[in-house]
Amino acid sequence: MSDTPETEVAVLNVRSAVGIGVSFVIAAGALFALPTLQNTGLGFNTAFWLVSAVELVTALAIAYFVLNLHETRG
Amino acid sequence: MDPTVMQAGFDLLGDGRPETLWLGIGTILMLIGTFYFIAKGWGVTDEEAREYYAITILVPGIATAAYLSMFFGIGLTEVEVAGRGTLDIYYARYADWLFTTPLLLLDLALLAKVDRVTIGTLIGVDALMIVTGLIGALSQTMLARYSWWLVSTIAFIFVLYYLLTSLRSAAKRRSAEVQSTFNTLTVITAVLWTAYPILWIIGTEGAGVVGLGLETLGFMVLDVTAKVGFGFVLLSSRAILPDSDAPEPSAGETATAD
Repeated sequence: MSDTPETEVAVLNVRSAVGIGVSFVIAAGALFALPTLQNTGLGFNTAFWLVSAVELVTALAIAYFVLNLHETRG
Repeated sequence: MDPTVMQAGFDLLGDGRPETLWLGIGTILMLIGTFYFIAKGWGVTDEEAREYYAITILVPGIATAAYLSMFFGIGLTEVEVAGRGTLDIYYARYADWLFTTPLLLLDLALLAKVDRVTIGTLIGVDALMIVTGLIGALSQTMLARYSWWLVSTIAFIFVLYYLLTSLRSAAKRRSAEVQSTFNTLTVITAVLWTAYPILWIIGTEGAGVVGLGLETLGFMVLDVTAKVGFGFVLLSSRAILPDSDAPEPSAGETATAD
């Protein structure tokens, strides 16, 4: 075993990177989803607020994933 | 006068919407911005820089989708307003803002290196600003529309207050490069974001002084500048690099380096 002290290295957190990608795809898809949601019987207001909620939640998820994009390993 | 000029646009899809010209241009400019940022960030390995790139690529990326949905008329609805008749409302614009404005603020927060509570508060007030604007856009009386506009504008003033106090004082503790970039981006954000409620109140959703074509053009210019222009300034700056907090060289050293 080496006596060299271990140094902390920041590595990409794959789970966060995937989370960013998935959140983006969901957010982009939601922008086109309103007519489909209405076709399922939802009223415009319900469908619209659902889409808006998806946009906000995905933005918050991306903010979380970006803040945890790297993890330090010793 | 040429009717095309009066309509401030050109009906590209032949569905009676001259504003499709601006929505089409907006889609292309956002797409160009997205790919430019992807190309610029390709191969970047620095962890801090990666965070800025991740956020800044997603902002015009989602705006491209929003503009495309508005271009094809998917992101459009009609709202019956007492005394004004039927208004065309591009709701995808608001959905886009709900996604993009928190991320733009996150860029500024990362630059200023503020704590997570401050980031959460800033994003919370920002979300309140967009949601109340949304309620205003869907309201069916002008009194309600103007009232919600006022609430949204007050929330916006709080966002500006946070930017100019908490974030600015945090940024002052960082290097001159970071301070300079932060100040430039804050000015861009403050000026452009102030124009949004003004355009809304004089546009078709407010007083109706400006027609839908001109309003769409105005929002497109503001959106492209506030997202792609903002990203260009941020990602072109050395402030996102890890050594940007290094002590500033003296005047003599700077002259030698040059």
